[in-house]
Amino acid sequence: MSETFIVRLRFSRREPAIWLAHLDMMRTFERSIRRAGLPICWSQGYNPRPQMTFALPISVGLATAGDYLDLSLEEDLEPADVMDRLNRSLPTGFAILAANRAAPSKASLMSLVRAADYRLETPGLAEAIARIANTQPLVVEKFSKGKMVDVDIRPLIEKIQLKGPDCLEMRVKAGSSANLRPDLFLKALETYGDLPAEAAADCAVTRLALILDSNDPESAGS
Amino acid sequence: MSTVNLPRHLLASVEKPARYTGGEWNSIVKTVPEAAEQALRPFLRYAFCFPDTYEIGMSNLALRILYHLLNERPDVWCERVFAPWTDMADRMRRENLPLFALESRTPLHEFDLLGFTLQYELAFTSVLDMLDLGRVPLRTADRTLDDPFVMAGGPVVYNIEPMADFFDLVIIGEGEEVLSEVVDCYLHWKASGDTRTREGFLLAAAQIEGVYVPSFYTVTYKNDGTVQAILPNRTGVPATIRKRIILDLDQAYFPTQSIVPNTEIVHDRIFLELFRGCTRGCRFCQAGMIYRPVREKKPAVLVNQALEMEKTTGYDEVGMLSLSTSDYSALSELTDGLLCELTPHHTSISLPSLRLDNFSLELMEKASSTRKGGLTFAPEAGTQRLRDVINKNITEEDLLKAMELALRGGWSGAKLYFMLGLPTETIEDVEGIAHLAQAIEKLYQSLPRFERPKRLELSLSTAMFIPKPFTPFQWSPQADTETMKSHQMHLKDLLRHSRSVRYKWHEPRQSYIEGVLARGDRRLGKVIEAAFRGGARFDAWDEQFKYDLWIDCLEKAGLDPNFYARRERSRQEIFPWSHIDCGVTEDFLWSEYQQAILAQTTPECREQCSACGAQCFGGGVCYE
Repeated sequence: MSETFIVRLRFSRREPAIWLAHLDMMRTFERSIRRAGLPICWSQGYNPRPQMTFALPISVGLATAGDYLDLSLEEDLEPADVMDRLNRSLPTGFAILAANRAAPSKASLMSLVRAADYRLETPGLAEAIARIANTQPLVVEKFSKGKMVDVDIRPLIEKIQLKGPDCLEMRVKAGSSANLRPDLFLKALETYGDLPAEAAADCAVTRLALILDSNDPESAGS
Repeated sequence: MSTVNLPRHLLASVEKPARYTGGEWNSIVKTVPEAAEQALRPFLRYAFCFPDTYEIGMSNLALRILYHLLNERPDVWCERVFAPWTDMADRMRRENLPLFALESRTPLHEFDLLGFTLQYELAFTSVLDMLDLGRVPLRTADRTLDDPFVMAGGPVVYNIEPMADFFDLVIIGEGEEVLSEVVDCYLHWKASGDTRTREGFLLAAAQIEGVYVPSFYTVTYKNDGTVQAILPNRTGVPATIRKRIILDLDQAYFPTQSIVPNTEIVHDRIFLELFRGCTRGCRFCQAGMIYRPVREKKPAVLVNQALEMEKTTGYDEVGMLSLSTSDYSALSELTDGLLCELTPHHTSISLPSLRLDNFSLELMEKASSTRKGGLTFAPEAGTQRLRDVINKNITEEDLLKAMELALRGGWSGAKLYFMLGLPTETIEDVEGIAHLAQAIEKLYQSLPRFERPKRLELSLSTAMFIPKPFTPFQWSPQADTETMKSHQMHLKDLLRHSRSVRYKWHEPRQSYIEGVLARGDRRLGKVIEAAFRGGARFDAWDEQFKYDLWIDCLEKAGLDPNFYARRERSRQEIFPWSHIDCGVTEDFLWSEYQQAILAQTTPECREQCSACGAQCFGGGVCYE
């Protein structure tokens, strides 16, 4: 095997790209990388694919201001050059914000994700938060492995900060071991905080940042 | 101009929201000039409308070509509109949101021209659904100067009569040249300042060859319900409308900066159009007649287009389009060229269904070094007699030889396509389908174990034959639904011990309504509208199709579906489409029909010219 070079990208996705499903987004990045002419490594086997890893899947409708993506390249390109070329090849709504070299490691990018910061915006958020402040636990139904199960989401919330009557920011657990999806949090606000269903359905959700498990978060690329 | 705001809860609640949000790579966004500037230099807003889902519409080559062709012009902005799936359409109605174009989210009714492409008759109600949702009056007679002009094109328009009340103008044939002429005509009309009536533009457009304005023709009927005459009701309107074609496809416009969808579509790859037309002359096939004569692109042109599109799209797969790829005269040169240029970039070639012979198997081996692509084979009929009737030039020996090659080559099976209800079909022909499948099973068993795959898997499907205009069977009655059902059951029964065969069939009632519409006349307009008002849309989708509603609407309109579908028509009958000229003459089609009844075959174009009439266009295979 020849040497591979990892470039860690921090990217954003906004309207209209937020409506892509995760698989669609992966395909869109693959094609953008090909258009940019980047020397991406290909996986071995029956159906070779360009080698890239997203830190955390992004669900349909979710905007992000800072997700991570690792590219495996065959050449040691300047990260700024990779960022520049890719930015010129991405469809409306996607942008690469930063690019850094990352050391190839055994731990996958996905396994490094520890928490995520989200911003939620919809009318009545502050009131709903006030109503759940003392609700302990926050049990909601979640579809998991083909059936509905009850989960207590309280332990998954690290902190919540109100930014106004209709806006909040929160840090929640994220990654493969424990993960809170914002839609589940909104469901809890509906159930225990009387957030109107319409407000929940119209809530704009942006992932502000992914918190990676590392001593120096800056080394992750921001 | 206004834009439609799509609330989050709406997009979050529908299936595949990326169908509706646009922003794809290579999609085109322009700035609309200010009104003052437009007064000096008119600007045309064109909506290319496809009456089915995004995934199907984006896979359509006409859309791919004409979208970019129109957008090359600085005085036109062409955008795309697809039929929103039922979940989205229902929610949009509930929230009072009009149908919009993907690029600008401008409501449909604010466009100047709407161009629908019609690929199948069962899309008719979806056209009405889109107009209604886009707040465009359904009927041409109800449209005012504030409304767009509504156009149609595509294979179905060779008999557009059932939809004549809804389309202001219709383009017959290939659109690359004529569409631009219509656009010029519109801009000229706008610039002339004399825009007091819609008719001014329509009269000017009717002068363009290939343009048909249905409202300029009056249809009268005989007492027996057949057409008496179709006559122009204005001076200066042609008595017949001849289709337009592009003679030199190498020189014709072909976009290499093609849109790359954000969400997966049906044919999600680079398209190469190898040729138009087909030399085979299968008598059931409308495409084989209306796209005559055959015109090929040079392999070097195609390889260049593939390479350029690979760069501009990032796609990693190239597909080939034509009516019969095996008949492309430079297929070997083309695939070698593509493989040599594309393989180093991890770009693969996806081969369409090919006629099974040594050559195509070799080709498939080459094209898919790691994976075995599927094989398809379309004998269409179960006996040699019936295959001769339809002029499908395949023998049982061909099929078995090809299957042996395939099985020895490592393929474990194939898809077999047949039709039920072909003219002159008897129960022996239906049984012949089962016998063919069983002959393949026997062949498989006769091969030594180490020279054949572990298991044989045959997928056998039967579609219903539907007689279409401009084919030799346009005079022929469509088979009745009950007989078709019993034939399907009989076939299923015959195949019950054939464990390697999976049998799939098509709903005959859907084909029956398609048959009514295919050879229908203008009186069906109110039936289509009533069906739409009653909830019909996406009729080509099995789970959406409402048979009882259609029958009810036909009954209420006092129209007998059997008059359209199940009647043997006479040589003298004037068809609802008799004023349309596709080059192929009625005399040729009739003689083909007579040959068919006698089970006599006709050679393909390259072997011998049968004087079908398509020579009149002065190019293509007729002059090779």
